[in-house]
Amino acid sequence: MTPVVQLESVSRAFGRSRDAVAAVSDLDLAVPRGKFTTLLGPSGCGKTTTLRMIAGFVQPTSGRILLEGADATKTPPEKRNIGMVFQSYALFPHMTIIDNVAFGLRARGLAKTEVTARAGEALELVGLSALAGRKPGALSGGQQQRVALARAVAIRPSVLLLDEPLSNLDARLRVQMRAELRRVQRETGLTAILVTHDQDEALELSDHMVILNKGRLEQEGAPRDVFPRPASRFVADFLGYENFPVLPGHGPVAIRPEHVRLLSSGEPEDAGVTLEATVTNVTYQGSHCVVEVNANGLGDGTRLLCAHPGEAPRPGEAVRVLLPAAHLVTLGEDAEAAR
Amino acid sequence: MIRRPLLSLLTALAFLIMLGPVVILLGVAFTAGSTLTFPPEGLSLRWFAAALDYQPFISSLGTSLVVAALSTVLALALGVPATLALQRGLIPGRGVVENLFATPIIVPELVLGLALFQQLMVGLQITALATLVIGHTVLLLPYAVRVVGASLALSDPRLEEAARGLGAGPLRTFFQVTLPVMRPGIISAAILAFITSLNNVPLSLLLTGPGVSTLPVEMLNYVQSSYDPVVAAVSVLLLAASVAVALVTERLVGFNKVFGR
Repeated sequence: MTPVVQLESVSRAFGRSRDAVAAVSDLDLAVPRGKFTTLLGPSGCGKTTTLRMIAGFVQPTSGRILLEGADATKTPPEKRNIGMVFQSYALFPHMTIIDNVAFGLRARGLAKTEVTARAGEALELVGLSALAGRKPGALSGGQQQRVALARAVAIRPSVLLLDEPLSNLDARLRVQMRAELRRVQRETGLTAILVTHDQDEALELSDHMVILNKGRLEQEGAPRDVFPRPASRFVADFLGYENFPVLPGHGPVAIRPEHVRLLSSGEPEDAGVTLEATVTNVTYQGSHCVVEVNANGLGDGTRLLCAHPGEAPRPGEAVRVLLPAAHLVTLGEDAEAAR
Repeated sequence: MIRRPLLSLLTALAFLIMLGPVVILLGVAFTAGSTLTFPPEGLSLRWFAAALDYQPFISSLGTSLVVAALSTVLALALGVPATLALQRGLIPGRGVVENLFATPIIVPELVLGLALFQQLMVGLQITALATLVIGHTVLLLPYAVRVVGASLALSDPRLEEAARGLGAGPLRTFFQVTLPVMRPGIISAAILAFITSLNNVPLSLLLTGPGVSTLPVEMLNYVQSSYDPVVAAVSVLLLAASVAVALVTERLVGFNKVFGR
């Protein structure tokens, strides 16, 4: 099956040729049909530029973009059949909610009855039929974003593009809207691409996640594959791995604080690496304590964080720390450093 | 209960300075006496009747309205596309171009008037009326660019992208999204421009010719030769017209209503 969206060594530089800054470099991407794909990375990693190139708002400096298998690199946005949802909602302030949702259908010259039916259907999908006659200014941020989603879905786009759609919402609403996004994508069966810098959002929503760093692809795959096995220090760091010791016989590894264990005296050692260490700091976090230790055998300054659920030791105490083999991730080089 | 005496005093003073002359003008216009004195000596409408009887005022009012209407339309026709290009387009040296549009405010109007008089009226033999319209258009252009620009700068630049993404071409996007979003800005720019043109003296002074004069210029001429309350009556009529225009537009388009809040 052809991917809905394909990028072939796409690059985009901003600024004049001499001091141009590459926002996206040589990116290859295939977006699987009917799946939820996220472009994840810190700000400035090129994820938004990538999305805007797929939408047609930004032209690639080089490379090709294929939509439904056909070269669309030069196609203007209005001919791409995309449904885009913006961080700022971008609802038309002078139109009612239903006219907003119907805009794309009218632009396609559909018959009046069909416009009414499909706009109503899309508004019902997000549960806002009751607000059809209001203006956007009368709606809350969460409602506005659902209208924006309905407007994008109504045209039955070949791909739904979501540009950090939840970033302007407060934390609680954001979590609700995640479920809403996922539900709408499942019910419509649309291919979706979400841009986000929020790893939790990406983990929860994606079937396929693509991690970008400085305009290059760092790693891609299903969240269940990527999360426990980050391929580079960058990805591990971004996904919340906080310990990066260099172990004798292992080389550079990464391990999450919640997987580091403090051994009580006499406890048998599991498979893994045991280190003698000194506690330097303890921070209380409610459900657990974060214990900061300095490992003795690893030279100065090898600091490890350990999320410890039990009673915490005091600073200055000597402890034994176990890094279980099952949770040790051997790191490759970052994509950028590898070049 | 005055909690900040100094602030209250300054506020009162500001209002007095702004509104005092208007109150005096009103008094003078309704006087029954025959000199420009305040407080008025009795009340009457005789000076309004006199003003409406004075032919030069009536004909120059016609000229003023024509010039204000034409130059407002022209300034918007030039200013709106310029603003769009400045705000949404990719213009090299945008800041410089933007400042260029402000120059008519900085250049003394008499200088502008003299230049236009020499080049257009003397040099190209263009009629006084056409020169007035051109001169006022130049004068109003900065207002059009600034006011429309301010309203456009406040709107979300993603609106146009949203429309394009939904399948609307550039024309449809302009007429169904950009233009309606700019509407409040265009309306306020039009009111401001119209009133500015209607009240202008320095530029008009140099661009009026035989038989073609604007109302403010004609009022100035009148004051130079006669000393009676007719001018005050005309001023009150102008004031009333300006306030009426502002009130009616506020009612008709109610800027808040446009944004659907």
